[in-house]
Amino acid sequence: MPELNEIVHQPVRLRIMAALVALEPGNEVDFTYLRDLLAVTDGNLGAHLRKLEEAGYITVNKVFIDRKPRTFVTVTADGRQVFHEHVAALQSILNRK
Amino acid sequence: MNISPDQAEEALADIQKIMQKTRHSIASSSFSTSLMITGIIWLTGFVCTQFLTGEIVVYIWIGMSILGSILASILGSRQSRLVRNPAAGATTKRVLLTWLLLTIYCLAAIVVAWPLDGKQMTIFIVLFVMIGWTIMGLSLLFTPVWPSVILVALVLAGYFFLPDFFYLIIGILGGGGMIALGLIIKYRW
Repeated sequence: MPELNEIVHQPVRLRIMAALVALEPGNEVDFTYLRDLLAVTDGNLGAHLRKLEEAGYITVNKVFIDRKPRTFVTVTADGRQVFHEHVAALQSILNRK
Repeated sequence: MNISPDQAEEALADIQKIMQKTRHSIASSSFSTSLMITGIIWLTGFVCTQFLTGEIVVYIWIGMSILGSILASILGSRQSRLVRNPAAGATTKRVLLTWLLLTIYCLAAIVVAWPLDGKQMTIFIVLFVMIGWTIMGLSLLFTPVWPSVILVALVLAGYFFLPDFFYLIIGILGGGGMIALGLIIKYRW
């Protein structure tokens, strides 16, 4: 039976993972785009991304484009699997209602 | 970790909402603009074709096509600022190859069916462009394909039922429709 994941279940992190999983596999999303999409602050998003990166669920890729630093975020294969398991766990809890 | 069914329902609804919002914002940011660019090209080109004669029409189409290509390139680079795929080279090659082959097939079909009048040639080109749009939407870029179905229906209706106003219909209904749809997607969807 799938189990809930404590790292993913935190509301902001759950929304980050949902946004990243909605992308085509292999696609990276810009940090500022993610910040605007989720309506969170830079600091808040950065802290949650660090937590997810430490768990190995996402990859943060810092690059220079036109000499300007840019940060792109993508979900890892592990992250995708953990997210789907978490969703399955939520659905099984809901089914008990 | 234990949560109630109500909390689970709330979390699932939140997930669904964010996933939809993400897909929609990525698709609409480029799709609506490309729709409006194509609409402006169609509107200008076909309305000029209806009312003008001679070489000027050819020059207008060439000018509009060049302008459209430049705007499409700018749009592509703008989209890559939001979302990018480091391994997207293969997809780009597939997209280019698809359009190249479709162009060759379209020319071959025109040569086989020759002689064609201006309206028949327009139908051929529009049909091949719409086939390309459908392939892009369903297989490569995952953008909506239903506007192409409506456009083909409009073009065929104009060709068979109002041949004297064929170019005007494509220009105003097809081109104008694309502009309107692009605006709706961008600001209301």
